[in-house]
Amino acid sequence: MQKVGKRNTRSLAWIISIVLVVSVVLSACGNKEEEQANGSNGNADDPLEVSIMTITPSAVPAADDNVIKRAIEKATNSKMNIQWVSNNIYGDKLNLTLASGDIPDLIMINDPFGSTFTKMVKQGAFWDVTPYIKDYPNLSNGIPDIAWETTKAADGNNYGIPRPRPVTGDSFFIIRKDWLDKLNLQVPETTDELFEVMKAFVEQDPDGNGAQDTTALAAYISPDDLGWGGNLGPVLGAIESSFIGINSSWKWDESQGELIYRELLPEVRESLQYLTKAYSSGMMPEDLLSLKLTQARELFKRNQAGIIVDKTGTMRKIYADDLKKVDPSFKYTDFYPLTNLNGYNPKGAGYNGILAIPASVPEEKMKRILKLVDSWMNPEVFEIQQFGIEGTHYEVVDGKKVANNEKLTADNASDFNHIVNVIDLPWDTTGETDEETQANELFKKVEAERDKTSVADLSAGLQSETGQKVLPELNKKIQDLKAKIILGREPIEAWDTFVESLRNDPNVQAMSDEMTEAYKKRNGH
Amino acid sequence: MSSHGQRMNTVKGKQTSARSKWLNLLSSLRRDQSLYLLALPGILFFLVFKYIPMWGIIIAFQDYSPFRGIQGSEWVGLLHFTELFANPDFALLFRNTLAISLLNLILFFPFPILISLGLNELKSVAYKRLIQTIIYMPHFLSWVIIAGLTLLLFAKGTGLINELFTLWGWQRVDILTNPDSFWVMVTLQAMWKEAGWGTIVFLAAMASVDTQLYEAARMDGAGRLRQIWHITLPAIRSVIIVLLILRLGDIMEVGFEQIFLMYNGAVSEVAEVFDTYVYRTGIEQGDFSYSTAVGLFKSVIGLVLVVVANRLVKRMGQEGVY
Repeated sequence: MQKVGKRNTRSLAWIISIVLVVSVVLSACGNKEEEQANGSNGNADDPLEVSIMTITPSAVPAADDNVIKRAIEKATNSKMNIQWVSNNIYGDKLNLTLASGDIPDLIMINDPFGSTFTKMVKQGAFWDVTPYIKDYPNLSNGIPDIAWETTKAADGNNYGIPRPRPVTGDSFFIIRKDWLDKLNLQVPETTDELFEVMKAFVEQDPDGNGAQDTTALAAYISPDDLGWGGNLGPVLGAIESSFIGINSSWKWDESQGELIYRELLPEVRESLQYLTKAYSSGMMPEDLLSLKLTQARELFKRNQAGIIVDKTGTMRKIYADDLKKVDPSFKYTDFYPLTNLNGYNPKGAGYNGILAIPASVPEEKMKRILKLVDSWMNPEVFEIQQFGIEGTHYEVVDGKKVANNEKLTADNASDFNHIVNVIDLPWDTTGETDEETQANELFKKVEAERDKTSVADLSAGLQSETGQKVLPELNKKIQDLKAKIILGREPIEAWDTFVESLRNDPNVQAMSDEMTEAYKKRNGH
Repeated sequence: MSSHGQRMNTVKGKQTSARSKWLNLLSSLRRDQSLYLLALPGILFFLVFKYIPMWGIIIAFQDYSPFRGIQGSEWVGLLHFTELFANPDFALLFRNTLAISLLNLILFFPFPILISLGLNELKSVAYKRLIQTIIYMPHFLSWVIIAGLTLLLFAKGTGLINELFTLWGWQRVDILTNPDSFWVMVTLQAMWKEAGWGTIVFLAAMASVDTQLYEAARMDGAGRLRQIWHITLPAIRSVIIVLLILRLGDIMEVGFEQIFLMYNGAVSEVAEVFDTYVYRTGIEQGDFSYSTAVGLFKSVIGLVLVVVANRLVKRMGQEGVY
């Protein structure tokens, strides 16, 4: 008996061990096999299997069996495996993905001049699409030259397809016109007037609920925004830029014949004093540093802030419909974009990120991916994400498509703009109500006005080797110090000391020289 | 039992001891083969998932590029380490990491012991269970949730506590963006989250104390505190020491998630620790080799501390971790 029992335990031990070992080995191999299956796209007529990573602006991203996704797949003969990543963390997620070496076939690079991507491009990790573009009519004609131009790497090649955006209608101040009207105020045209408006928004109870519970500017400072608008991000950066009058980290100094680094400009100090005063007067959220982009937007959506910084076209998709629930009297035209401040407004770079293809993708498949983007840009395909599917998302009335926006939003239709977006109007064209038409008229007028004063980023696409190395740390230091000064933790004199140290920093000097050289070379000086 | 091996040793003496050791091992392998077999998956697990990946640290001595891989990347020797030590922020990183860790050691570490001692004295089992359940709960919340709760409670503008303070006519307090309170805040946060969970192991150790010892002490007239001091504490001493040594190994780890989530520009000079620095340089800036070097440096310090502490404890006549 005992002997039998012992043998039993022994064989049981063998079985358990083998099962466990096999499962460990299998789980380690699993990924490889899957990859191989994905990589083989033997027949050119089979749907193209492609993995994609991009931003989603929605809290709940489109599911794998989303109807709009299915329709686009069918129209482009593809099978997409999309990783939607939240706006708040895209930068980190992107770097993690690049670090892992396991890069999706089509990956959205939000900053084509970021250090990780540039480094990897230099090592040949991504396809240079320059020689192929001419074969695809929509890529070569549908994406404006300025977008191709400003996304060129240091060697003059394009390592990705730019996601085109209109150069007009870049992120700038948008103000609650109904609040202005209620308090008998004019649309501000200078930073001083803006200050008065912000003051009124805080003190004079614009929402009329009898309590001083509103702030003026839905602002936030986040470490994700390093390098953006003086490292202060889109909102406070827009104020700083209005002081300087440039949309860039560099200003061309005609008398010296060189580019001056933004932080060395005296206007930065002025704007810091302005922001410090605005913060201490409650014109922006007290928890400025703890907020993220989505939380700042919430303030505006919840009727708690009167000014935001965003693109004109974001009106309904992001803000207006939510705001109407809280404040039913809000009209689309109350979402009022400013034309300029101190005579300045920014001109867009013509793109918002690029779509890169890793070099590990075989040439044939890379071409098919280019083809996918190209055919996606065809009007009949692009209309799928614009209007959805007939009968479900829109009806044809008098020969015009009238979309059911709620249904479109529910099906994440506009999320697909974060993969392929055909550059057209920066505002929504799906609606046909009077209110919407009026809003679109207003936006068109504003765009035309803005066009007269908009300033382009003169350093877009220029690179400096030293900058690549020192900027990440430097940007962080600058943001930290500016944040502390705005919060009143450090006196403005701390900025003077810092600027002095920047002036004497050999790295800053080298970076300025390299940028100046690159600028002169490009502009044919 | 293993008389065979013993005999070999004594007969052949030192010269063949190496050979006899092998024979010894073989015979015990044969004898306990089913036990070793059962251990095999565990050994394999550690090999595959813990030891083999350790080869990755060689990228600390390279200029590693994920595209080129370890084989294709250039060797740079100790460059990343010298860069780290020469970095003007190094002293700051070291100070912050150590400060948060030491605060943890002084405030956090004894806290679960104190709670367990208190719980151990409770007579009502039902009440004890209730308290235990309540204090375990925060352990199951993720840091993201806790950071969110902290924001909701303590935010200067909209935080619940500050709303109450204004209601009572007090000054608003600034906790989240105040460099003076950051270290204490993260320590208290960690205590709130983990102290209850930490009591488990101490309570288990206390449960194994022979109740006759308490009875005898009571007969001798020892009060509650005396009993704790002379019976309970000595009984759990070895557990405390083992946990303390293990804690020392993690002295350079202050919990990345927590610090990262509570981090903001205004507290950067007290909140930047090695963990967040590794993340920033490695993930955000793509300097994988450099951040691996920083991580390796951190681990070496932890290893040295564990070895030293273990030696000390053994010299004092206690049992260490190995």
